Amino acid sequence: MSTEATSARTSETPCWSCGAPTDSAHFCAACGKIQPLSGDSDYFAFFGLPRKLTIDPEDLERRFHQLSWKLHPDNFVRDGERERELALARSSQLNDAFRALRDPISRVEYLLASAGMRREGQHKQQAPPELLEEVFELNESLDELREARQRRTSADVPAETATVRRKLEAASQNFAEKLAGVDAELEKLFAEWDQANADAGTRANPGAGPGAKLTEARAATLGRDATNDAASDAARRKLLERMNEVLNRRSYIRNLVASVQKELEGE
Amino acid sequence: MGRTVGIDLGTTYSLIAYLDPAAGKPGCIPGPLGDTLCPSIVSVDPDGTVVVGEPARNRLLTQPARTIYSVKRLMGRGVDDVQDELKIFPFHIDAGSQNVIRVRLGDRVFTPPEISAFILRELKSWAERFFHESVDRAVITVPAYFNAAQRQATKDAGRLAGLEVLRLVNEPTAAALAYGLHEQRRGRVAVYDLGGGTFDISILKLISTGDGDIYQVLSTNGDTHLGGDDLDNELLAVARNEIRIRHGLDLERDPETVQELRKALIGAKHELSFAERAAVMVPLPDGSSYVREFSRAEFEGLVQPILDRTIGPVQMALADAGLQPADVDEVVLVGGSTRVPLVRRMVEQLFGRRPHAELNPDEVVALGAAIQANILESGVKDMLLLDVTPLSLGIETMGGVVAKIIPRNSTIPASAQEMFTTGVDSQTGIDIHVLQGERELAADCRSLARFQLRVPPGPAGLARIEVKFLIDASGILQVSARDLKTGQEHSVEVQPSYGLSDAEIEHILEESIENAEQDFNLRQLIEARNEAETILRATEKSLAGLAAGITAHGEPPQEVGHDLPPDLPPDLPPDLPQDDGRAINAAIAALRSASAGDDYKLIRVRVDELNQATMPLAERLMNRALSSALAGKRLSDV
Repeated sequence: MSTEATSARTSETPCWSCGAPTDSAHFCAACGKIQPLSGDSDYFAFFGLPRKLTIDPEDLERRFHQLSWKLHPDNFVRDGERERELALARSSQLNDAFRALRDPISRVEYLLASAGMRREGQHKQQAPPELLEEVFELNESLDELREARQRRTSADVPAETATVRRKLEAASQNFAEKLAGVDAELEKLFAEWDQANADAGTRANPGAGPGAKLTEARAATLGRDATNDAASDAARRKLLERMNEVLNRRSYIRNLVASVQKELEGE
Repeated sequence: MGRTVGIDLGTTYSLIAYLDPAAGKPGCIPGPLGDTLCPSIVSVDPDGTVVVGEPARNRLLTQPARTIYSVKRLMGRGVDDVQDELKIFPFHIDAGSQNVIRVRLGDRVFTPPEISAFILRELKSWAERFFHESVDRAVITVPAYFNAAQRQATKDAGRLAGLEVLRLVNEPTAAALAYGLHEQRRGRVAVYDLGGGTFDISILKLISTGDGDIYQVLSTNGDTHLGGDDLDNELLAVARNEIRIRHGLDLERDPETVQELRKALIGAKHELSFAERAAVMVPLPDGSSYVREFSRAEFEGLVQPILDRTIGPVQMALADAGLQPADVDEVVLVGGSTRVPLVRRMVEQLFGRRPHAELNPDEVVALGAAIQANILESGVKDMLLLDVTPLSLGIETMGGVVAKIIPRNSTIPASAQEMFTTGVDSQTGIDIHVLQGERELAADCRSLARFQLRVPPGPAGLARIEVKFLIDASGILQVSARDLKTGQEHSVEVQPSYGLSDAEIEHILEESIENAEQDFNLRQLIEARNEAETILRATEKSLAGLAAGITAHGEPPQEVGHDLPPDLPPDLPPDLPQDDGRAINAAIAALRSASAGDDYKLIRVRVDELNQATMPLAERLMNRALSSALAGKRLSDV
């Protein structure tokens, strides 16, 4: 079962005002009234975008502005209470979605969270194994600096801390470079993910191009190969796991660099 | 439904503006004295009469204990927050104050929203006088850096003044709107807004789209306690110190002289924006006078440290927008304090370009509010404001640490959902504390509200309650909760940390009905006059119609007109019995004279009398209509 397919069901809730089917659209096609958010609303779908990690920022912003014109509560000041509430809910969702998708890191975090693989503030804070040695050294230097500060009375403090500071600055530089490497790795994973999704999308729905909205029913009618499907789902799951891992590493290194900076400035 | 206006509820001055549809541009509405600036000063007489604006200014000198200025500094704040201001400002805080400050004015006690409501009501009456119709909806501006509690207090003030607040708009954003309309600007704009009591910096992007122009705020920063008042206080501190040394006088117990001194020093400050030197002379209680000349250089030296405090927020706003100073296409100055030449030099240095100040810096915010009010009122949309929340929203977690759920500079409306569950068996409530601010510890952030989610007792971790925190387009917090197990909406009673509850506002509204009698009278008068105007016009039209009807029947009115007694107008229908005609004319005259007066009850009585007098006329008109309809029938039968 695809993690993607489960999170984006097509809901056929009737319009609250006229009863026409709405298919999770912002407005009812029949009467034009703004519609409530469906429980499983997806940020990508909100903008009419496939669940791809490479997004053209200008295109996203254009979509954001177009939807802002339609959904902003200012448009509904003269409407009834129900519509005002719906506009507030929908326009806040628009802004939340734009905030999440415009930045690549928060975009992938959102993707992982919506696949149930990542929760805010719940990432592991243990050092990635390949960094253990360097982190150990760094922590030693940090302790040294703190200790030197405790003995402020002694005359040779500046000289003593100068050495440690140089060491820390070098380490900080080293980790900043690693961070750049991590970002490059993420970018590569983004491309792989988009490719995997494009393949799955083409197979499932050849006419409509890449799409995340795959219902099982639709897939079945298209004669989707179940074995192939399971394999690509597993591959995508694996990609998500790798992205999660890289993100954890990224946040670990960032925290490390930030704490070193703080310690260096704190003098 | 009445008019919608834009209001700048300022620390030192407030203004009310509207969009003139004929001119297609906004304008400020003058008060009875002809001035568009209403000093934000409120004084309450022993008999409860409230005096607002210029007339209240003198009372700062004559009745300082009954008069308050700069009340905006107290909006949405607790007693602990304002200890610093209390050292400088002559606020009389009531001993009973806790989380909502209560200010003593003579023998009465008011909350800051109530005092602000007096100012709003005064402005509302200016507009009602101007339009001759009621004004009941408004867009009110607030400092961009106001937190949700300060915004809520402002909205409460509107409600207490009988205004439906359609939206709160940030002052720099409103100014950008006024400038945009004025100059058709595009690109990235920085608005530097130094007012009487608050400083804001906002960075906006102006975008032309196929649908119209979008004013998108990228970032905002500021200091809600930094403004022209602080410059005055600097001068005041110098003067009081010199008076202590040279005259041996401590003015601690002499608020009248302090106010006199303050007034003179503010005059000198204004003068120094144009002149190189300015002098003050203030009589002292010992019969001597404090005489002092300030040079511009000395003034600038004194206030430089205060103005330097605007630099940090400007740099933060730029960083949050991801911009360098050179990336900014235009810089706009707003607020009276930007008249100070040193401010202009500083801003020019900060951004490397000459700032714009073509529009009156006192009026530009109100003008922008009027534009927004018009957009909301008319529904005609060629502009859209996308504002941001100035401070991160967070909830307190274990150890008093704040978990940020909506970051600062998020476009509003914005929301965040959080899941809550119980930590121990049989727990029946989950306490939630909502805060605003950038610091890590709850103690260092601004407490907005606390509430408890009630859950049915059960094993730990069984409950699943999703709480939605939403910041609306005015920057005000809304909380709702849903029980995910039952799918039911969960009731949340949010107790504002520093603000009035709904019940308290209702209570004040009820109490103020008596106090608002004056206000009520004005509204009644306007309505009664409108009613009089309507019936007078209708009567005249009916009379003319009857007269014309006669012509149609081949009886030219002038023929019969000769027979009319001299006290009847020539257009009075001839087939109307003379008694009825006289009665109508008398009633018209009586209503006209009542309508020129101020007694709305008398106008109502005269309206009723005219209605009575025109009864036969109405019957006659009805008969005429019926007979002509019948005549038509007969004709068609032929």
